[in-house]
This record gives sequence, C-alpha cells and structure tokens, in this order.
Amino acid sequence: MIHVAARLRITASLSAIPAGDRISFPRLQELLDMTAGNLSTHLRKLEDVSYVTVTKTHHGRTPATYLELSKTGRRAFEDYRDALRSVLGENR
Amino acid sequence: MPEPTNRLDDNAPADPATMLAILTEQQRRVDRALLAPVPWLYFIWGVSWLIGYFLLWSTWDGGNPWFRVPVALAATTFAVLMIGSIVSSAVIGARINRGVRGISDFAGRVYGLSWSVCGFAFFALGAGLDFNGASSEILSVYFPSAFGLMCGTTYLGGAALWRNKGQLVVGVALLVVSSLAPFAGQPTNILVMSLAGGAVFGAGAVASAIGLARPARD
Repeated sequence: MIHVAARLRITASLSAIPAGDRISFPRLQELLDMTAGNLSTHLRKLEDVSYVTVTKTHHGRTPATYLELSKTGRRAFEDYRDALRSVLGENR
Repeated sequence: MPEPTNRLDDNAPADPATMLAILTEQQRRVDRALLAPVPWLYFIWGVSWLIGYFLLWSTWDGGNPWFRVPVALAATTFAVLMIGSIVSSAVIGARINRGVRGISDFAGRVYGLSWSVCGFAFFALGAGLDFNGASSEILSVYFPSAFGLMCGTTYLGGAALWRNKGQLVVGVALLVVSSLAPFAGQPTNILVMSLAGGAVFGAGAVASAIGLARPARD
C-alpha cells in the first residue's frame, strides 16, 4: 500500500505529526505540493485499508477535513521504513 | 513556490534506495515547514534583550560610560520590545501549529499561558519587594534576573513538552546567566543580562538554523 511514492510521502508527512494530533487537508496539501484531487485519491486508498483516519468537522459554517495516521498506519509506515533500511544495510 | 504535482511517477513503485530517499526528504521537508520560524523566534528575543537591557543599563550612574538614556525612554522601549517579542512569539507559534489539532492543543495552550501567568507572578513578587521598601538598586537586580529565570524555566518546560534539546540548552543557559548576573554587581548585572542573554538567544538562533539545514530525522 505505501510502496507507491505518493502514498509514502503522505504517510511520511503524517508520521511527522505527533500521535494523537491531526492535520487539516489544506495544510497537508501544502506540505506535499500535491493537487487536491491527487491527494484525495491517495488518501481514500489509505483510508480504505485503515491506515489513515479522516475526521470531518466544521469551522463555523465552513467544512474542514482533518487527517491522521491510525495505529495500524503508523505501524505499517515504521515497518516499511525499517524494511527499507534493512534491505539497504542500514542499522536504523 | 513549486506547482502542485500530479506526476505519473508518483504512482509507480521505485527501488528501495529511492523510496528511502523519498521518505527521508519528505520528513525533512515537513520538519523544515514546521520549524522554519524557530530561528526567528530566538533572533527576535535576542535583539530585544540586547537592546532592551542595554538601554536600562544606560540609565544608571556607573552604567554606560558613553551616553545616558532617560529612565522613561529606556523603560518604555524595554516594555515595547518585550511585549513585541511576546506577541511575535504567539503569532509565530500559532503559525507553526497552523492546521494541526488534537492531543497537543492542551499542552500548547498551557505552555502559552504559562508565559503570562509566570510573568505576572514574578512581577507581583517584585512589586511586593518594592512595597516592603526594597531600594531601586535591589529592584534593578531582582527584575532582570527574575525575568530571565522565568524565561529559562519556561524554556525547560517547552523542552520537556516537545523533547527539544535546543530549548533545553537555551533554558539552562538563561538560568545560569540570570542567577549569576547579580554577582557582577549593580548596575553591571543589567549589562550581563543584555550581552550574555542576547548571546544565548543568538546562539539558539544559529544552532536551530543549522539544525534545519541538516538532513534527516531518525
């Protein structure tokens, strides 16, 4: 799931946000420099496998979407990162 | 600013080295985006301390040998610099955390509030000393060091909250400077706060800027 570059970048960005915090869609889009459509597509795939939790709320009358890595997603990301390092012979 | 990407190769798996490089670069990019304003925070505080305390030192007999500054002008400038720094910190802090919500909200709010609450408490203690007849010389030893101790302690709190070694070093250095400054004698203690305090913040600005330029988190 996260061996695709775009989704790896998304999970890497979300992993930099402390567990228990969530980030707004526009801010995440800004950190990734991705189009809204592209980001939405990949987020939906990550949400489908429960790697990303999506929270929809309102700021006044304006709808807002917040995203965070689920425990499963964070673990999958860390396992994937460790596997890459292992394959490349890095200790960490 | 680069255009948002919709590249086809975003969807294609790559070799492990490329993927690890993508991962590392993205995390570095997030770190930079979130922490980029930090050197400016230190810089603003450093300049405020350097100028503010230097002007206060320049109001005293036995202080600045080159020129004297009227007390009203020095005190007003000092207050403007400190309030400006606090407002800048609040604005920059909010910008760093823009778009992020959740469990850290409470910690951030308590940390932000601790600056004004602790500042008022230390000020009230100084006012109490004045009320009990402390001389202006004693108060000019108390207030600069009390403010420095408050800043140092609050930085230690920030270091603990965000596991930030830079804040830890700055906090400890401010505690050392503020607690030792009185031993330089009055009014030189104020010059020590200006130069050493300003240097601590300046070093914090340089170190955090270098840290941002350095690659990769764990």
